[in-house]
Amino acid sequence: MSVYEYDAVIIGGGASGLTASLYLSSRGYKTALISKGDPVCCLSTGGIDVLNGSDSPFDLLAHLPEDHPYSLVGREALIEALSFFMEIMGHAGLPYVGEPGKNRQIITPIGTTKSTGLVPCTMADADLAEDGHLHVVSFKGIKDFYPSYITSRIKNSAFSVFDAKVATTLGIAARFEDDAFLDAFISWLHDLEIPHDRVALPAVLGIRDPVSVMEKISSATGRQVFEIPTLPPSIPGLRLFRALKRLLQAKGGHLYWGREVSSFESQAGRIEAVTLSTTGRPSRVEGKVFILSTGSFVSGGLFASRDWIRETVFGLPVFVPGERKDWFNTDFFAAGHAIEKAGIEVDGTFRPKLTKMDNLFACGSILAHSEILKYQCGHGLAISTGMAAAKMCEGMLS
Amino acid sequence: MMSFEHCVRCTLCVENCPVFKVNPAFPGPKQSGPDAQRFRLDGEKSVDEWVKLCCQCKRCEVACPYGVNVSEIILKAQVKYSSEHFSPFAAHLFANTHELGRLGSIAAPITNFLTSASFVQGTMRLLGLSTHLPMPEYRFLSLARGRRKKGRFKSPRKVVFFHGCYLNYNRPDIGRGIRDLLAYLGCRVAMPPQTCCGLPALGNGDIDMARRYAQKNAQRLVEYIDKGYSVLYACTSCGLTLVHDYPEVFEIPEGRKIAENTYNLHEFILEAIEDGSISMDFGEVNRRIAYHIPCHLRALGIGYPAARLFEKIPGLTFEILEDDCCGLAGSYGFKKKNQQTSVNLGVIAAAAITSLPVDAFASDCGACKMQLGHFTGLPAFDPSEIVIESLANRSKKKAVRKRRMP
Repeated sequence: MSVYEYDAVIIGGGASGLTASLYLSSRGYKTALISKGDPVCCLSTGGIDVLNGSDSPFDLLAHLPEDHPYSLVGREALIEALSFFMEIMGHAGLPYVGEPGKNRQIITPIGTTKSTGLVPCTMADADLAEDGHLHVVSFKGIKDFYPSYITSRIKNSAFSVFDAKVATTLGIAARFEDDAFLDAFISWLHDLEIPHDRVALPAVLGIRDPVSVMEKISSATGRQVFEIPTLPPSIPGLRLFRALKRLLQAKGGHLYWGREVSSFESQAGRIEAVTLSTTGRPSRVEGKVFILSTGSFVSGGLFASRDWIRETVFGLPVFVPGERKDWFNTDFFAAGHAIEKAGIEVDGTFRPKLTKMDNLFACGSILAHSEILKYQCGHGLAISTGMAAAKMCEGMLS
Repeated sequence: MMSFEHCVRCTLCVENCPVFKVNPAFPGPKQSGPDAQRFRLDGEKSVDEWVKLCCQCKRCEVACPYGVNVSEIILKAQVKYSSEHFSPFAAHLFANTHELGRLGSIAAPITNFLTSASFVQGTMRLLGLSTHLPMPEYRFLSLARGRRKKGRFKSPRKVVFFHGCYLNYNRPDIGRGIRDLLAYLGCRVAMPPQTCCGLPALGNGDIDMARRYAQKNAQRLVEYIDKGYSVLYACTSCGLTLVHDYPEVFEIPEGRKIAENTYNLHEFILEAIEDGSISMDFGEVNRRIAYHIPCHLRALGIGYPAARLFEKIPGLTFEILEDDCCGLAGSYGFKKKNQQTSVNLGVIAAAAITSLPVDAFASDCGACKMQLGHFTGLPAFDPSEIVIESLANRSKKKAVRKRRMP
């Protein structure tokens, strides 16, 4: 058995766990982040949905059910968390734009708009005026991105198709990192003599440094350029995840990736250590505080059988919304299936209720009553509860 | 491990696949692994030649949140394909890395002259070998052949150093450094006769040859483990083979025991520092380096132990780069059919290094160092060389605060 000692151990490497780890390691605590695999944040649009359905997410906060995790976070802490996020993303070379109290619109691959809170700066100009004025550039053979869907819904718009010799979003994004390819693309775009003010592309402007790719295209053509998020594999989601992970390592946080917690030890109301298994020696990771951010069903933090739901790491008591027959709405597309309420109920200190573990905290989409699909609050909830739980840990560690 | 049936097609593996990123001919880990597995039948001859385009970096498997053994499914399909079809010359050649190294080392000056001569390079290309990189140079005085130093036996720790082919035949200087480092730290260091870990043979589709190598090593290693020795590796691909493939792929009976007693060099040093059996006084190293994490170190799941040693070295500034595969992937990039993939990936991974304000880079893997040294033009270090430099400088130690890159 290999033994590692930390101040804080975070289990689950999604947006929430990464935020919590980043906060704690930037405060000088020795932090370990354990993850079974890459998070669903990689599959996201890269946008930070805070609360959708109104011009301001704050208008909606007051109308949320009392047991929603946002009610525990509170408005001030939500603003603080989003500001912290914007600040660190600036350091990571992937600046985000937007205001915590204001929603904005981005364009989807089918030409509709989607409301979101903060967006990577490559989507900053996606909020179109009434009269459109948009030129969409697509790529030959690219899947699930049909520019005519977009132009059919937007006034004064047209599209062109570039042959990148590869058809996958990842493949095209990799090509944009090659200066010769970028130059060829820019000169093609220049020759089109586009009459429109703005140019939109699927989100493929490089993986490592999209900002400089976008700026090059923008300054060479004199047009505002922005990205439209695609279906997974989603490059903006991947960039967000990698930026957070890189930043965490730069702050001295340690990653244990591709490792699953196989057991834990507790004593006198405290979690002492978790054990990670591999084909080799298991590792024992000891911590003074633990944060559970393993996500909901999709991420494997919760597991549902026919008639019970289990929390997969510590076996914590799970809030289950009634009997199985009540879990789902008969209308599949209706917002708010009851199953979305399942999760871990926490008290005001983000400690799971009904457990007597003093140094265990939970955050992110594993929290009960979060109903992320219904309220469209995934990343906002992840970041704000991650930071809130981290602050509780900080209080305990200091 | 979950089977292919647990795949939910989320594409997280695809996002992490280096080959899929640059080679449109490879359908990616999801399709080559779990998707195609539904159609592979034991009695039927494989038709999926593209499965051999996978470089076995294991990034898909590390990324998969559902625990699907994506790269192992692909590996088994590669082995199946190779066993049913004619294998090209290059595959046979590189499967025998150990014999190649032995011969190359005995005739070192001649080998090195020949592999760099242009008329030979033409022939190599005809035989399906890539010449985008110079072939690794061989050293006559291999690590195993060199004189052995004895440790000072201060520490109760006894270790077997599993050096692997690269440190033995190509960079015995690094191997000797590691051996001396361990001896200096008071460990009893054994270097019994050993052969290739088996990975090159496995990677080139010859699982029987790989298993023969593995069995030979296993027998010897277990003898030492039973006498209280720990097994140490510095090459992270050898390490992954010992820890993962011996029990899981080769199904060596003693595999589990070997896996449990095998340590990464830096992991071992860290643990010994922490339990007090070794004390180390780190001297200043004034370097700014990028630490390129080899794919197989990621796959080992032990974190990045060398980085944790780097943190202790005053004056050293480093940044971890873990998101790019160097593209050489052992012998993968030395094959002509993979040359373009390898070059494209090399350029991307090198750009990640050169975009940082660094004057060198470190990596645990010989292949990564060859490839990225070529594409960055920067000096390449094994992490142990940085640690040794620090120990050598300890007399000159000044009170310099540890720095990290912003």
